[in-house]
Amino acid sequence: MNYGFVIDNRKCIGCHACTVACKSEHDVPIGVNRTFVKQVEKGVFPDTQRMFSVLRCNHCEDAPCVTICPVTALYTREDGIVDFNNNRCIGCKSCMQACPYDALYIDPETSTAAKCNYCAHRVDIGLEPACVNICPEEAIVSGDLDNPESKIAKTLGRHQVTVRKPEKNTKPNLYYIDGDLGSLTPNETVKGDQTLWGSQSRGVGHYAKYAEKVANKNKQIDYDQVNLQTMLKEKVGDTVATWAGGEGESCASGRSSADNHLDKALKSNDARRVYDTPDKGILWGWEVSGYVLTKAISAGVMLLLVIGYFLNSAFSHPFMTIRIEAIWTAIILGLVFLGATGALLVKDLDQPKRFVYVLLRPQWNSWLVKGGYSITIYGALISLFGLAIYMEWTLVAQVTIYITGFFAVIVAIYTAFLFAQAKGRDFWQSPTLVFHMLIHSFMAGAAAYMMVDAFIEIGISWNYFVNMVMKVAIIANLFLVLIELTITHPTTDAKEVAHMIVKGRYKMLFWFGSIITGNIIPFLLVLFVENTWVTGFAGLLVLIGIYFTEKIWIEAPQRIVLT
Amino acid sequence: MAYKHKPTFIEKLAESVGLIPDLHEDYGTEIPSLTEPGDLTKFPPPEQWDDWTEYEAKGWGKKEKKTYSIVPTTCFNCESACGLLAYIDKKDNSVRKFEGNPYHPASRGRNCAKGPATVNQLTDPDRILYPQKRVGKRGDGKWERVSWDAALDDIAARMRKALQEKRNNEIAYHVGRPGHEGYMDRVLKAWNVDGHNSHTNVCSSGARFGYNLWHGYDRPSPDHANSDFILLISAHLESGHYFNPHAQRIMEGMMNGAKLAVMDPRLSNTASMADYWMPTYPGTEAALMLAFAKIILEEELYDRKFMETWVNWREFLRAKRTDLDVTFENYIKAMIEAYAEYTPEFAESESGVKKEMVVDIARRIGRAGSRFAAHNWRSASSGNLGGWAVSRTLHFLNVLTGSVGTVGGTSPSSWNKYKPKFFDNPPAQKFWNELHFPNEYPLAFFEMSFLLPHFLKEGRGKLDTYFTRVFNPVWTYPDGFSWIEALSDHDKIGMHIALTPTWNETSYFADYVLPMGLASERHDLNSYETHGAVWIAFRQPVLREAARRRGEKIEHTYETNPGEVWEEDEFWIELSWRIDPDGSLGIREHFKSPYRKDEKINVDEYYQYIFEHTEGLPEKAKEHNMTPLDYMKKFGAFEVEHTAYEKHLNVIPDADMQGTTVNEETQQVLKDGKPIGLMVDGKPRVGFPTPSRQQEFFSQTMIDWKWPEYDIPTYIKSHIHEENMDRSKGDFPLVPTFRLPVLIHSRSGNSKWLNEIANRNPVWMHTSDAKNMGIRNDDLIRINTDIGYFIDKVWVTEGMKPGIVACSHHIGRWKRPQDETNNRWAMNTVKIDTDGDGKWKMKTIQGITPSNSDDPDTARIFWQDGGVHQNITFPVHPDPISGMHCWHQKVRIEKARPGDSYGDVSVDTNKSFEVYQDWLKLTRPAPGPNNERRPLWFPRALKPSSEQFFMEGGPKKKE
Repeated sequence: MNYGFVIDNRKCIGCHACTVACKSEHDVPIGVNRTFVKQVEKGVFPDTQRMFSVLRCNHCEDAPCVTICPVTALYTREDGIVDFNNNRCIGCKSCMQACPYDALYIDPETSTAAKCNYCAHRVDIGLEPACVNICPEEAIVSGDLDNPESKIAKTLGRHQVTVRKPEKNTKPNLYYIDGDLGSLTPNETVKGDQTLWGSQSRGVGHYAKYAEKVANKNKQIDYDQVNLQTMLKEKVGDTVATWAGGEGESCASGRSSADNHLDKALKSNDARRVYDTPDKGILWGWEVSGYVLTKAISAGVMLLLVIGYFLNSAFSHPFMTIRIEAIWTAIILGLVFLGATGALLVKDLDQPKRFVYVLLRPQWNSWLVKGGYSITIYGALISLFGLAIYMEWTLVAQVTIYITGFFAVIVAIYTAFLFAQAKGRDFWQSPTLVFHMLIHSFMAGAAAYMMVDAFIEIGISWNYFVNMVMKVAIIANLFLVLIELTITHPTTDAKEVAHMIVKGRYKMLFWFGSIITGNIIPFLLVLFVENTWVTGFAGLLVLIGIYFTEKIWIEAPQRIVLT
Repeated sequence: MAYKHKPTFIEKLAESVGLIPDLHEDYGTEIPSLTEPGDLTKFPPPEQWDDWTEYEAKGWGKKEKKTYSIVPTTCFNCESACGLLAYIDKKDNSVRKFEGNPYHPASRGRNCAKGPATVNQLTDPDRILYPQKRVGKRGDGKWERVSWDAALDDIAARMRKALQEKRNNEIAYHVGRPGHEGYMDRVLKAWNVDGHNSHTNVCSSGARFGYNLWHGYDRPSPDHANSDFILLISAHLESGHYFNPHAQRIMEGMMNGAKLAVMDPRLSNTASMADYWMPTYPGTEAALMLAFAKIILEEELYDRKFMETWVNWREFLRAKRTDLDVTFENYIKAMIEAYAEYTPEFAESESGVKKEMVVDIARRIGRAGSRFAAHNWRSASSGNLGGWAVSRTLHFLNVLTGSVGTVGGTSPSSWNKYKPKFFDNPPAQKFWNELHFPNEYPLAFFEMSFLLPHFLKEGRGKLDTYFTRVFNPVWTYPDGFSWIEALSDHDKIGMHIALTPTWNETSYFADYVLPMGLASERHDLNSYETHGAVWIAFRQPVLREAARRRGEKIEHTYETNPGEVWEEDEFWIELSWRIDPDGSLGIREHFKSPYRKDEKINVDEYYQYIFEHTEGLPEKAKEHNMTPLDYMKKFGAFEVEHTAYEKHLNVIPDADMQGTTVNEETQQVLKDGKPIGLMVDGKPRVGFPTPSRQQEFFSQTMIDWKWPEYDIPTYIKSHIHEENMDRSKGDFPLVPTFRLPVLIHSRSGNSKWLNEIANRNPVWMHTSDAKNMGIRNDDLIRINTDIGYFIDKVWVTEGMKPGIVACSHHIGRWKRPQDETNNRWAMNTVKIDTDGDGKWKMKTIQGITPSNSDDPDTARIFWQDGGVHQNITFPVHPDPISGMHCWHQKVRIEKARPGDSYGDVSVDTNKSFEVYQDWLKLTRPAPGPNNERRPLWFPRALKPSSEQFFMEGGPKKKE
């Protein structure tokens, strides 16, 4: 038993009936869609055509959204339907990063993820999905792909079909007859905030709250004074910034660049989008970049301590001594930044009150769960270690420190595995991301010690060790960044991200924020200046640099349009 | 295959100790499936419609169930009246959703986007729930709630006075979308008022005129599903009469091998799906058609048998080619000569369609023969001076191929449309209202409705009581500011009553705004020519029917409608009853129950009578042990004839054959010297309702009515022909008429799901034109018409014919700051200024803005651009023959000037009046022969008594 869809593009007339029937069946709020009809025009007059492509969840056999979902809010049924239960969803939006087809959205009504679920509530009582029923042209065929007698199996058997992004190995169960490459491949066309019949000037889904803010402003308008054009400009200016990422210039599609592309498209016979759904914006924003930083600090301080301790105890003549200040720095900063990590993680949820579901409704394949447990255990271990130090339980401390160190590594790097589960984001599929996370953790840990040392003396030999770590880590980091941005990206989308970072919209942030401020300057400072205030300042720069880097690394891939 | 989540040990533990909510509780018994797994069905079986339980999608996680009463009705967004099933929640008696009705013969359970969107309109937070009466000056935007009683009494008293004073012509009912069969004609006749005014002359009367000249039927009913070649001068895969039913069958035909050809200067979705896209220069379509015809004639691809029998070619030869013997061969020869200039090369030079394609398509049409389906809905016939020649030449192709009324061909509309029988038929009114059918336009196919403001301005008459119903001329019609001027003038219009479910631009200028039900809150009978069959459908107030099923006694639809929303059917009965309280005006008698003596008819009885007298329906109902009315309430539709073709071959009843003779040469059956049919295959056949009972290639009517140059199908050069364009000054023909699949004039502004898909209307311009003018995509341009201008954005595209621009008319709705909040998904806020002497300015001061309401979605509105109102800058262009408003026009395009803002509109109504006068000069007024106001054989909306068809002095025989 395996339910699937065939979309027959020979018949689809682009009428949007399926879109609206779906809205009606599921009472989907405006701005977000479970299914819609993307429209693309191509060709030069009079040899032009407008292509219609019904896009929706592909009910993949290997659904990345199911794998990444930490709480089994998404699941694959025995009949092949990828369904969801919004009572379980915590609003972490990782499914939206995992789905290569951009099929999910945050429902502003429930603040949980949603998508096409093949009308499972209808299927279970023997009814066709609502979109199948309404289609004037019977262009949407549903049914059991496994049953050779079914209409869908017969249709598949007799027609050439395509699927979206087969290279993602998700095994989609949605097939297109006469599928159009220009429509099914997202980067063949540019997504802008205007289509032929519609436009977007405010956020939707997760960002619908910003439109609601406008509604609640209730500003009295002086009708004699207002000029719509300037008003439009102002509003688009500030709201686009708000809906997309909440941070200044972060419009997901980038209006100006889209316009440039459009001009380019008009000069050639490039395909062009003429209908598209609103942009859902950047879903993992500063909270996530912030969490990666705080986590790096928390893990880094313990990592350094453990290595220092190992070196100290492994060699008979200790070349350095670990003072109690260093230990307490590790314990306190480890716990404080771990707490901050947790707080940011919770804050990023659209259902923050359900944060415990990660631990209490675990879906073990999800790296969010593995990470969540690692963080929890890590926190417990630091606490135990702290207690052992405080109570002077030497044996306990000696044992605990290594276990803590092990978990510090996991805490430092697990996000790389989580990002790898986010199959929608090509740039995150890089195997170097693990090292990137680990090195950042070393840098962050070292930076933390440097900053503490400006206020509390931790010890010369420890400082030497920390400086050493910092120098090595920065060199390794720069080397890794070089690799990440040059040789590890096999896909167009990942290359586009690399381009965005090095030469595109992130170039200033990257070169000045990450590379110069976060690496070169602190490296030089640590190398040439011995003043603790200066090294402390270098540490601060490193942390700022890590934040910028993570901001770029997390935000830029999310600008790649998936539909 | 019910899914059950298996919790981990941790989750089980956490739930059991109450750390987290228990999501594994037992949600009760599962609903049994209608089918085996994997084998899905489309609709709940009708046996379960009274009590249908299904899972609620929104509560799926907890297996929430809902129980519904499923009641059929029909959609009222466009004219197709597709079937809908309303799912009425038995708990709170609200409509949860609409799906298609599988028992509807035209829509077959399927719908377009506008069907399910009906539920938005029901829950529209801004809909009008109570009668409103104007406070202050008309148009001030101030209203007070009044009772229905007070409103009805006030209006009835006024009308009674007018009728008593024989001012019958001062009462008018002006309708946009009728949505019913004959209801209002009955009411108006009962009032003895020639007061029917419709929107048809801004819509379809151009094409209707062309078709009517041929065979006395004014619309085509193509049998797309069975055709071999489909030619559309329309966009039926996205819009038009009857979008969804036709789109289904066009595709069915195509999947069975039919080829589709589309004429449209714009790449419509339909053109995009077509095998042949002919991006014609607008107004040149007839030239193409005649080129096809010429090829079909020359290559002998025509249907000789059909033509020889059914075309009035003898008349043609006798009148025009006295040099030739009256033989069919000579007829063909004469036609080839008559159309000699319509070579493929000429067609290409006029239309821009490549000559190779012209030849290819002509041959395909010829080869398709009787399986040639064609339609001209609006488009060219509604855009151009002489646009009626487009449908006339198109139908010529049907005649040539013998595809008139055949399987896979094109039938006259009436063959596929049911004519209901009413319980009472009042006599025709004894008035002719020249405000609607003025003498200048004796051939006008419908009322000259869009000239009304100018007629009032000229002092041709005035209106005492003016009803507008689902009608928004201020916004939909050309020259809206002239409408505002007329509607604001209390001397010209004594009282304006707007019957509407929702506020609109015209209702702002009413005295009463009376809320009327939406699709599922009203009764109507529907029947349309969607395919080769005949059907009826029943629009009904679904909550009323659900209440009836619950055993409640409901007497009026408003009892179950929200607020105090009425339905028109009951309104007209009640109003008529009050106009004539003692029966002395003779009105009341027409509103008495056929079942209860001397009592006021109720709406159930009205339809009961019709259904009891619908052929086959009582029998069908009996099979279900139901009355015909109950059957219709249950299933919502009935197929009167499963197939309906070639009705011209129907045999004349013996009774009518009394005293007839047969003309040996023509085989015409004559009665009192007039043809009533034709002898074919030895039997007297009814033929077509024309003077000759044949297809009239040659029209004596056109000669009689002073247009001899159009006696046979011709190509008429449009007012926007290339030769009238000064390209150096930025002249372009503007095509402003096309629809989008998701919107419908001003009736869809109250649907959020439709407006989120489409909410702006930029001007389409070809890349090369934009380049020449230095215009970039999204730049502002000023589009100058003859009476003003509007400022819009440009959509630069390869999907537009170079040299032509186009703009859709659905978008650009507005309210003034003082008007009630309404249609907030679509309404710009505008500021309107006038100098009081015809100069008007409109400025958009606010786009679409999020706001709070009962519907949380109003706060989530993500678009701001509400488009531009273009129609208000158009002057009237009445075609001197068909009376159609010729929508296309020459515009002069320039880049926006400094100070121009998006959405700006400027109009001078003095200029509008001048343009009106210029076009009026083109007419050749009545009388025609015998002092007739109008050819007697022409259909006329709300046909008055026969003596009214003659001008003062009555019939005059030719001297």
